[in-house]
Amino acid sequence: MRKKNQEDTWTELKEQPVPEGHHLLEVQDLKMYFYTQDGVVKAVNGVSYNLDRGETLGVVGESGSGKSVTSLTIMGLVDMPPGKIMGGDVLYRGKSLLKMSERDMQHVRGNDIAMIFQDPMTSLNPVYTIGRQLSEGMRLHLGYTKEQAWKRSIELLDMVGIPNPEQRVKDYPHEFSGGMRQRVMIAMALACNPDILIADEPTTALDVTIQAQIIELMQEMQQKNGNAIIMITHDLGVVADVADKIMVMYAGSPVEFGTADEIFYGSLHPYTWGLTRSIPDPVFTEKHPLTPIEGNPPSLVNVPKGCPFSPRCPYATALCHEKYPDLYVTETGHYSRCHYAGDPEFVKKNAPANSRTKAAAKAAKEGGEA
Amino acid sequence: MEQDRTGQKPLLHVEHLTKEFPVEGGVFNRSRKKSVHAVNDVSFDIYPGETFGLVGESGCGKSTTGRCIMRLTTPTSGKVVFDGKDVSKMNKAELKEMRRNMQFIFQDPYASLNPRMTIGEIVSEPLVIHKVMPDKDERMDYVRSLLDVVGLNPEHINRYPHEFSGGQRQRIGIARAFALRPKLIICDEPVSALDVSIQAQVLNLLSDLQQEYGTAYLFIAHDLSVVQHISDRVAVMYLGNMMEYSDWKTLYAEPYHPYTQSLLSAVPVPDPDLQRNRKRIILKGDPPSPINPPSGCRFHTRCPIAQEICSKEPMPELREVAPGHFCRCHFAAPKPIKESSVEL
Repeated sequence: MRKKNQEDTWTELKEQPVPEGHHLLEVQDLKMYFYTQDGVVKAVNGVSYNLDRGETLGVVGESGSGKSVTSLTIMGLVDMPPGKIMGGDVLYRGKSLLKMSERDMQHVRGNDIAMIFQDPMTSLNPVYTIGRQLSEGMRLHLGYTKEQAWKRSIELLDMVGIPNPEQRVKDYPHEFSGGMRQRVMIAMALACNPDILIADEPTTALDVTIQAQIIELMQEMQQKNGNAIIMITHDLGVVADVADKIMVMYAGSPVEFGTADEIFYGSLHPYTWGLTRSIPDPVFTEKHPLTPIEGNPPSLVNVPKGCPFSPRCPYATALCHEKYPDLYVTETGHYSRCHYAGDPEFVKKNAPANSRTKAAAKAAKEGGEA
Repeated sequence: MEQDRTGQKPLLHVEHLTKEFPVEGGVFNRSRKKSVHAVNDVSFDIYPGETFGLVGESGCGKSTTGRCIMRLTTPTSGKVVFDGKDVSKMNKAELKEMRRNMQFIFQDPYASLNPRMTIGEIVSEPLVIHKVMPDKDERMDYVRSLLDVVGLNPEHINRYPHEFSGGQRQRIGIARAFALRPKLIICDEPVSALDVSIQAQVLNLLSDLQQEYGTAYLFIAHDLSVVQHISDRVAVMYLGNMMEYSDWKTLYAEPYHPYTQSLLSAVPVPDPDLQRNRKRIILKGDPPSPINPPSGCRFHTRCPIAQEICSKEPMPELREVAPGHFCRCHFAAPKPIKESSVEL
């Protein structure tokens, strides 16, 4: 069934084993700057992480923190110029994506690494039927005939839970609701059974009940296909729900990286603490005022000297305003870019309470009373 | 913040508010008149100085309710009484007078400020329209003090909106709404366009201003945790109907309505332990179209506990299931979600 209509000697990357000593996806100190009239925008500034099959990486950050641009760089979707790779590498199954030719990249995009965008309204073409748009990738990458692709499109729509797929496959995007369009996007991304699914704010435009459906669907599909997911979002609730590993980004650089438990119960960076404190707590007893992070995120043209977070950090010292902090890495690979991350006293004193520390404090209190 | 309101007069009284938008059938079928049932029989009171939260998914009629109250759109039927006067019967002059005491904060901080006016002009415009401060110097001094109150630099009075970030623009909108010291401010999704750290700043500002001036808020939002944080009482809307309302504590801890229960369980909590252990009710399908709402209870098509009666009987009435707790369901039963959370 599978036939190649291209003549080049492309070998399917996803069918090869991951080379010894490599991860499925390795991003190593990636730097990508935009050269604009206003100056150099350091959009991606030293991003590193590893990802394996079946894992979900959550990328959290505020708007303009570089979380989307990082994945666009990995996919080779940033226009160069104005963009320019300033260092680092991206290895997919041991092969550098940055050094790959555009022709080879076209094999990778959609086939090995697929992407879901935030806005399902604008990422579907309004003048083609859903079926035709779904078929496109399969005909290109898998060499399906029109009929095969059409048949598979119906199966895919059924798989993502769209009722009456035989009829709906002939419909146009405007005939679908927002949640259904996002399901179509997921179907499209999964059509070629990719290794890595990059989801850029996939549920931000959707209502909570629909968001829950879409997240459940993505998790189901991951269990079935074993693909890795990179989930880019600003919602800490969503990452707590899906992510195994979390990367927190600020002003183009990751400030903290760790497992979900490490980030939520043992965070080592003041920015992560600030984010946690900014969200209203689901409480039933007493309301506390929120503790926002003062000020605004910096412009990426003019990143503050020293630690980029220092102007907004309540604990910043003279050292923070002067020197860019080194990574503090723990034994488990949890890292934080803060001068004081290695100081347990500092962390204990300033980190916000979470459900685990609260439970422990409660137990200790009851134990003390008894 | 709970208080006994017996004997207290509500600032705003909304009774059986209904709004239908006619849908024209197009060139070829003009005869068939349909309408969008945007708001259907909504009733509630807002007392001076309190925050009343209105939550629901997009298209549930929460914004239309706000617009009807301010009469930015005329309700089809029902009564809106503000400060003892019926808003729906007011003429133009009376409306203008009423709007001195009722202001609006809009969702989009980029679209709600005129790009060709300076911040000073924007914030002082309500004062000019209502001829409150005829003297320009006095007015500008007042605007400077307002900018200071909302956390902006008073020296920026001659700058234009594009020079400000989203959060700062929302502060300008807040300063404008507070310029006349109104009794009620309708906040339509005031923080949903902002980043979390900025969102917290704006929410704190709104609470501080309320404490200082005693303004009442009608707070419309889709984010349940934001609404819980800021509101004294919360109402949940679905497809134009108010499904349940109560004080914030009871509504979130012991929701009666199956829609409220599923809505609350669908919100992801930023706590992996809790998230793993809690049971979620995932609703099937999309909300039905408000042009052709389902017969009977409007929620029955997605309701996990729907029975035959739900589609056959007309929409159940709002009934008081506990003191001050109203719910619109045949089978309303409390479902405490309290034990799933960790408390100190």
